[in-house]
Amino acid sequence: MAAQITFINAAFALSLAALGACAAGYVFKRRGTAAVAAWAMGLAWAALTTGLGLLWHALGRPPLSNQYESLLAMLWFIYPLSFYFSRRTGKPEMLPAGALAACLLFGAAALLDKTPRPLMPALRSNWLTIHVLACMAAYAAFAVAAVAAAWALAKKKTEVLADFLLRLAKTGFAFLTLGIITGSVWADTAWGAWWSWDPKETWSLLTWLGYAAALHLRKKGLRGAKFSIILLGCFALVLFTYFGVNFLLSGMHSYG
Amino acid sequence: MLRALSSLYLFFSLCALLAAAFIYQTVFNTGVPVYGTPWFAALGLALAANIAACSLRRLKTAPAHFTLLHAGLVIIIAGAFATRFYRFEAKLPLHTGAASSKVYTQDASYELPFSVSLKDFRLEYYAEPRGRITVQENGAARVFDAREGETITTAGGATIKVLRVTRDFGLTAKNEVIDKSPYWHNPAVRLELLSGGKKKKLWFFGNFPGMHGQDLPYRVSYAVEGAEIKNFYSSILVKLSTGTEISAEVSVNTPLRYGGYTLYQTSYDPSDAGYSLLTVTMDRGVWVVYAGFSLLLLGIFLWLRK
Repeated sequence: MAAQITFINAAFALSLAALGACAAGYVFKRRGTAAVAAWAMGLAWAALTTGLGLLWHALGRPPLSNQYESLLAMLWFIYPLSFYFSRRTGKPEMLPAGALAACLLFGAAALLDKTPRPLMPALRSNWLTIHVLACMAAYAAFAVAAVAAAWALAKKKTEVLADFLLRLAKTGFAFLTLGIITGSVWADTAWGAWWSWDPKETWSLLTWLGYAAALHLRKKGLRGAKFSIILLGCFALVLFTYFGVNFLLSGMHSYG
Repeated sequence: MLRALSSLYLFFSLCALLAAAFIYQTVFNTGVPVYGTPWFAALGLALAANIAACSLRRLKTAPAHFTLLHAGLVIIIAGAFATRFYRFEAKLPLHTGAASSKVYTQDASYELPFSVSLKDFRLEYYAEPRGRITVQENGAARVFDAREGETITTAGGATIKVLRVTRDFGLTAKNEVIDKSPYWHNPAVRLELLSGGKKKKLWFFGNFPGMHGQDLPYRVSYAVEGAEIKNFYSSILVKLSTGTEISAEVSVNTPLRYGGYTLYQTSYDPSDAGYSLLTVTMDRGVWVVYAGFSLLLLGIFLWLRK
């Protein structure tokens, strides 16, 4: 168990370092720290990838079966998303948003039960990989969007990031659609029904409706601070679907 | 009419109503779920009408992804209604060697157009579970593997002989100890212990750890480790009235689909190795839903590329 934990902890430390470098750059108005932060983020991603690879090898199955493992998968998506969007949009603000999201998620992961357990019969399927990865990619995009929206609101720069928040929301929405569909097809094979109103299903549908409404509102002309606030509200739905349903409600998704 | 039905405000209102229904169901409702009520069906119908009207109005001008995505959603809701009204689900209890075509819902039983016999039921563990004996003596606990014929020496010098290990303890009519099944359902171990200068032969049970606590100079308990189930399998033979026979193995995540029916491995009885519970469903609506899923995914993909 030891090697993968070291790499995963290193990824946490490097993300904190990246966040620190961003903060220092902001406080001391130095431009050079941005490069340090980018390197730290890149190394954090490499460390996390290595850690996940070792964990996969140690478990003999994809590490996607409980909340801790799925959170690591979600974290893995945070880095490429923030790199891609900071490059494509030319907005360096994206990297600190990614670093902050990563640190918050690593903090949450530290609180979770890390005991690896063999897969229960219902989880023994190839659908596990695509379903969980699609959902985690969606949640990662929504997380980066929420942090960026909060940052833009705090700095009153919502116009600057408008295009980019939309693209993140669209990316997350597409992955969430894929996640719900793959989950439904899998449920029809494993549980005997393509939809059972399991709390996780219900709340993921509500999250999906929330983002659908947000995207329609934006199409209608809603811009700036209002759209950022709506994205934050929608992210609250993501948090409830991901954590709240597991800790507060009982259902067939009780493992993660 | 079409204009009013396709309004975005109607869409937002329906989202709000659905959200209210979901929150009510999650937080307050402990009775019959709201999803089966007529008014919830009406909400679904209104949503489908809203999306359909919106796509129809923009049919000539809208890009392909818009039409595909929204048509997909309407088809999914249509499929959901087909499932709601026509889906059949019942339980099929099976016993090794016997054929059955009778399935049960909560309040009725039905005859299937074919019979199913259970050739064999099999439970698979990740690894063979291990029986472990814990001896607590003077506040210190030591754990030993339970292997028949071996002798354990405790820290205080006492010896304990392992006479027999059973996975699923049972008694015959003649009071003989047998393994009722090959599964670790009622694990027990028979030990020969020395207590007060007398030899005692006692059974210790994994499911009842407090036994023989008082009359021994040390505390002995028995437990099974590593009894993690990998999957469970039913080998079945499906016989149609035409005489055709189909042999198949169903397990969790690998159902058998035949003639519109799907047979799922649902459960088993740990105390009866020759019993298996299957669920039989017939749901034509699912194919409509899958068609909707395909259009929706295609639409979303094109929308992202835009």
